Amino acid sequence: MAASFLFGQFMGGLTTAMFLFLIASGLSLVFGVMRLVNFAHGSFYMIGAYLAWQAIQWVHPTGAGFWIATLFAACGVGVLGGVVERLFFRSLYGREELYQLLFTYALVLILGDAAKFLWGTGQLSVSTPPVLAGSVVIFGSTQPLYNLFMMVVGPSIAFFGWLVLNKTGVGRMVRAAQMDREMLDALGANVGHIYLGMFVFSSFLAGLSGALVTPIQSIVPGMDVLIIVQAFIVVVIGGLGSFWGTFWGSVIYGQVLSFGILIFPSFSLFSVFALMAVILIVRPWGLFGRPL
Amino acid sequence: MRFRHGLAIACAAVALSPQGARAADNIKIGVPIPLSGPTSVYGVPILKGAELAVQQINAAGGVLGRKLEILSRDSKANADEAVRLSRELIIKDNVDFLAGTLTSAEAPAVSTVAKENKIVFLAPSSKSTILTDEKHINPYIFRVASNTDVEGLAGAEEMAKLKDVKTIVTIAPDYAYGRDSIAAFIKALKEKAPNMQVVDSQWPKLGEPDFTAFINAMMSKSPDAVYCSLFAGDFVTFSKQATPLGLFKKIDNRLVDGGEVGTIDEAQALGKDYPYGIIANTYDPVIWTGTEPPEHKKFIEDLKAYTKAQYASGWSIMGYQMIEALAEGIKKANSTKSDAVSKALEGMTFDTPVGKRSFSVKSHETFAPEFWGTMVKDANYPFALLKDPQPMPTDFKAN
Amino acid sequence: MNIGRRIPWTLIVFLAFATIPWMGSRYNVFLAEQIAIDALFAVSLNLLLGSTGLVSFGHVAYFGVGAYICAILMKTYELPFFIAFPAAGVGTALFALVSGFFCVRLIKLYFAMLTLAFSQIVWAIVYKWNDVTGGDQGLPEIPFPNLDWMNSVPFLSDLKVNDQFYLFSLAIIAVALAILHRIVRSPFGRVLTTIRDNPERAAFLGINVRAYQLAAFVVAGTFAGFAGALYGIFSRGVFADYVFWSKSAEVMIMTILGGMDFFWGPPVGALALVWLNQEITDYTEYWPFVLGTILLFLLFVFPGGIVGGLNALWLRVRARSRARA
Repeated sequence: MAASFLFGQFMGGLTTAMFLFLIASGLSLVFGVMRLVNFAHGSFYMIGAYLAWQAIQWVHPTGAGFWIATLFAACGVGVLGGVVERLFFRSLYGREELYQLLFTYALVLILGDAAKFLWGTGQLSVSTPPVLAGSVVIFGSTQPLYNLFMMVVGPSIAFFGWLVLNKTGVGRMVRAAQMDREMLDALGANVGHIYLGMFVFSSFLAGLSGALVTPIQSIVPGMDVLIIVQAFIVVVIGGLGSFWGTFWGSVIYGQVLSFGILIFPSFSLFSVFALMAVILIVRPWGLFGRPL
Repeated sequence: MRFRHGLAIACAAVALSPQGARAADNIKIGVPIPLSGPTSVYGVPILKGAELAVQQINAAGGVLGRKLEILSRDSKANADEAVRLSRELIIKDNVDFLAGTLTSAEAPAVSTVAKENKIVFLAPSSKSTILTDEKHINPYIFRVASNTDVEGLAGAEEMAKLKDVKTIVTIAPDYAYGRDSIAAFIKALKEKAPNMQVVDSQWPKLGEPDFTAFINAMMSKSPDAVYCSLFAGDFVTFSKQATPLGLFKKIDNRLVDGGEVGTIDEAQALGKDYPYGIIANTYDPVIWTGTEPPEHKKFIEDLKAYTKAQYASGWSIMGYQMIEALAEGIKKANSTKSDAVSKALEGMTFDTPVGKRSFSVKSHETFAPEFWGTMVKDANYPFALLKDPQPMPTDFKAN
Repeated sequence: MNIGRRIPWTLIVFLAFATIPWMGSRYNVFLAEQIAIDALFAVSLNLLLGSTGLVSFGHVAYFGVGAYICAILMKTYELPFFIAFPAAGVGTALFALVSGFFCVRLIKLYFAMLTLAFSQIVWAIVYKWNDVTGGDQGLPEIPFPNLDWMNSVPFLSDLKVNDQFYLFSLAIIAVALAILHRIVRSPFGRVLTTIRDNPERAAFLGINVRAYQLAAFVVAGTFAGFAGALYGIFSRGVFADYVFWSKSAEVMIMTILGGMDFFWGPPVGALALVWLNQEITDYTEYWPFVLGTILLFLLFVFPGGIVGGLNALWLRVRARSRARA
């Protein structure tokens, strides 16, 4: 019994981790390339969740409805990200980082209220797609199929992203832009397009995670703030800008939360911030990051 | 800098600028209550019930010849927000009375504001005994809701009815209400079912988005039953996550919850994902089985007409009661001064659509019973219904 | 800052604020006190932000620590204000010293994130340590300091306790702001701006950059603690959410709205924000949306804030009138 319980907690932690990884990877990506910490990333996640819910109301919860809604939400947020980047971010590059940060915070305020205005202030709920609604017993512990699905999707997307970044021409340009924007510009590459593309992709990821989380969590005002703090912690632990760092950061964070409630129930809230502080003090660029 | 001259004048002018226009000679009631977030599924209907009461009272001529007016604010279930809003309502909007708050974090905090400003404050939903115990009681706080002692006794009575239960685990939100309700349950359980044991307690925070770790921890103890004090949006999230993890199947639906998750509002929020078979409670079953008191029938009809909703809400009755009680108190005192109303409310009996209630002299509470029963599927409705709701507990003695 | 004009405008502003209990309503006093406390909080942040160039996201931690220490000492231990208040300052200073030591070793973004982490640690401790801090219930009913001595002063004796406390705290805030003003204009303050403008050059000049940054951090934190202590008494209670990071964002917006390049920018920002908040929430519940839009406006149109914008306007007017002369 004890072993199956530990396994269950471990799997629970892994599920949390994979969700977080999906959303934190977008945050990390944008920071790695654009040196920008995007507070509004959590808001994009929330908008993705709301859009998915909305799409399901329109399409009706048939079998394929959920997947259509998810795609719709992810693309919708990607477009939103693109618009934001073109209209606003472009004029902020080169300005002080403080202004960029404050801009993303302004977005958080605006998008948060926009969501309340459009979808009300209550709690919304989406049912699990029927094909993934069951569960499976592994090592004596019941694992919902949907959670297992997430554990596959998360790393797959990440791996895909890592492939693109490290093995393709486009990826090479992105990494070059990360290292030296002016030089790349001088060499004739359209850095503006690269930034736009990165931002759109990152927003797409945020919207996707928001949509995918709806069957297992409630859609509620304030979910943007809750998730961005967690994404921050994950990215700090793993290292800003490092894809694999974000992956391992999420895994660690997920397990700390999962087992934290057993070992020190009152302190899991405190322990994650303490972990973040310790990493920043001892090794600010995280486990896998590079010094700034 | 010379422009600072202008700035100085601007400062003084702004600080001295008059507040908003004063309303007419209405009796103003400030209602800070959660209108957004996970608890709003209870907060919004309470406000609606209060508004219905005000509408009915005003239509009948008001109180002491004056109309009632509600000023509602979104407290977001936050103690400091509720305090801030209450103080603004008192200082800026000059309300005569306060009524509202949902959680037992908000109500005790607002109670201190009420005490300091000498304004009568009625709480429709906060159950924790901390609100009115010896240390915290003051002349101005009155509780329309039930309290955790009453709830714990009823919960224990329900649990005692279940067969083959030896071990129980509990889960409750980690704040005053959760802690008090579990303590009261454990105490009452010793008396009602001494052979049952609580072997573990889980304490997620209020508003927790992910209960998975807690659910796993509960299941690892292989309990026969669960006593749950999660409510509103938290219970919705908890159920949605617990079902695929197999919790309800494992305990054969032997979960008892005292957080009013038997209300229609909650049942609608969960829809077909509701864990049928659990035992829950509500202040108002709305859809009555058995002989329905005519006052209740009329109340539900009025409520449906007011909210233009297809089904009435199980929480509106508490908002309705708090305004009705306040109006009675004002009439009895023949005054809108809180000191006089407070004296009038103490020990006062008032009518509600589900029976008479009265405020105890010592702790200003009604010790209201609630309706408990099993939640079942019903072919006539698209949501779970409370089967055979019975007012419980059957033998509560206030000390 | 222009030393030319000897007319004490600041004194005039304070006197204007001081007359509010007689000239205005209870609500005006309420607002004015909110503004005054926020002004002190924002000026303390600006010592880091504007003067030293350190972007702290966790400044509310010091506000909160000060608030809780003062509240706990006055309510639980029933100590008088003249012990509790300085104790709050000392306690906050120590905490700022320890946390600042770690923070100033980091650069820019990491500095900001560590301040945020410390701030959330404070929040988590306050939230969970029920026995001492009241946890999620908070500590309501903080007693007023003993203001009986005011009853013997002619004008002040017929004021209510709330108004007496208002004047009392206004005096304290005035003194605190005067001290901060002195600090900013002192040689110490000038070293800070040198560090802000170019840390490497400052280091080459032989300045111990980290030591100065830490000193600024401690001073800023201490005064934030004083603001917090006063706030706890003013709002008749301290709650865990006072220490949540969104308050750090709020005070930063206040500071920038007013203008970080000027000492009096943050107080103007405090006044503007509090006033805007109360005006706008009368009409709509979507205050965050409005705040976000104001922030956007600030960032893209008026990065210098209100005082910065006014100053630019004033300089242009003066230049034009000189050109004509």
